[in-house]
Amino acid sequence: MMQFAGALLVLFAGTMIGYLQASRFAARPRQIRQLMHALQRLETEIGYGQTPLPDALARLAGIVPAPVSGLFAAIAASFADPARASGTLRDNWERAMTDGWGRTAMRTPERDAMVRLGATLGGSGREDQIKHVRLAMHQLQAEEASAREEQQRYEKMSRSLGVLGALLVVILML
Amino acid sequence: MAQTMPDLFVYPLRGVLERLPEHVGVTLEEIRIRERRPLEIGYAGRSAFVRPDGTLTGDYRSAYAPGREECRALLERATNHSLYAVEEELRRGYITVSGGHRVGLAGRVILDRGAVAHLRDIAGFNVRIARARTDCAAAVLPGILDPRARTIRHTLIVSPPQQGKTTLLRDLVRSISSGEWHHPAASDWSGRKVGVVDERSEIAACEAGVPTFDLGPRTDVLDACPKAEGIMMLVRSMSPEVVAVDEIGRPEDAAALHEALHAGVRVLATAHASGLDDVAARPVLAGLAESGVFGAYVLLSRSAGKVEHRVVTPEHALREIKSRPQPAIRSPDVRQQEAGSV
Repeated sequence: MMQFAGALLVLFAGTMIGYLQASRFAARPRQIRQLMHALQRLETEIGYGQTPLPDALARLAGIVPAPVSGLFAAIAASFADPARASGTLRDNWERAMTDGWGRTAMRTPERDAMVRLGATLGGSGREDQIKHVRLAMHQLQAEEASAREEQQRYEKMSRSLGVLGALLVVILML
Repeated sequence: MAQTMPDLFVYPLRGVLERLPEHVGVTLEEIRIRERRPLEIGYAGRSAFVRPDGTLTGDYRSAYAPGREECRALLERATNHSLYAVEEELRRGYITVSGGHRVGLAGRVILDRGAVAHLRDIAGFNVRIARARTDCAAAVLPGILDPRARTIRHTLIVSPPQQGKTTLLRDLVRSISSGEWHHPAASDWSGRKVGVVDERSEIAACEAGVPTFDLGPRTDVLDACPKAEGIMMLVRSMSPEVVAVDEIGRPEDAAALHEALHAGVRVLATAHASGLDDVAARPVLAGLAESGVFGAYVLLSRSAGKVEHRVVTPEHALREIKSRPQPAIRSPDVRQQEAGSV
């Protein structure tokens, strides 16, 4: 009886791990798309609205779903924080990206593109800013394509791998 | 340390400024920051360099020199982290920050077909501290009243830079708008509707459209609007009784003032000039003066840290202008209607 319950538990855990892995594969391209959507909005805010960055970023946090919105909310909050007396936009941006990235399903190449964008944001004229935002969007686009490919290849596989791996453990145990 | 100090500086520069002596803090007018060069301040009409411990010195070699990072952070804060949003201001060479403080900028100019397109490598800053000095208009206002129309005469405030033109204009607007006429005959007059065209965002220091300085209860502000268009917009849309503008001097300003005059609006304006002879030397101002637009001139000057003013009638002003190029402003035959400290 105990053995049966243990086997069930192992089977359940293995399946869950597989599903979790699969959902990360599915979430990555979706979140990259959301990030691109946000950058598109940022381009409009800079190009037409000439909205100052603190306001623009707060708005971005409102239009994309969590967890991507958390990245922008963190930067927007850092502007209002008087404790960061010596913080420049570049530092705040980089900190928000490194701290918040773990909560998303995205990987390092996307983060590097965003950090590079943060280093130039707010520091030059309108046309130059738009160019930088577009460049970041192109990089994200490339990452999205590869993320989608990985999703197709590994999503189902990791799901079955979870179940099968758990089965293997159960068989070995019995 | 002045409470009005703008929140622009980062440590260690901020620490140096916080250690400034109390009497300097409250009279602070300018903070001049030049990258890797001595930190200078202007206060109470004087200037001095600042040592790292906040004490003042005349010797620039012992002064604190702000570094590259401090200047970068200052520029970022002055532009609200968004250089692209202040391109127009950069072209004019200054940014007005929250609180009405003006930050003048010097750097490398980028030209586009011969015109100034952009400013980059900015390494020189002049932070001018804006202050509301309530009741500095009390001494001036009785001199420019028009008892028959129960309002003010068309008035031009003339002074060199740094003498308190904008401060005086701001308090005049507040007094007129709230009906504090400071004159026994005017005790039962109510406040007037005042329209302010605030091209440099210095008079009202609007944040999201709402003035941060007290401009009285009956004041409408057109923020960051070119003066000539702004005057016409106000006259058409807001039915002001008095229009206040800062630093007139372009031909289109004069045309707009004429328009406003014929719309039955009283005008309160300021101009950069050291005195009436300078007014005569500037074609637009001279034209306005000769056509008898202004009913009163207020001249500001500064001695020993105090701002002195005198109100001059147009007849005297015209006589002084006609008798150019003598140093007419200090000639003894000018009757001083009133003199006092602001």
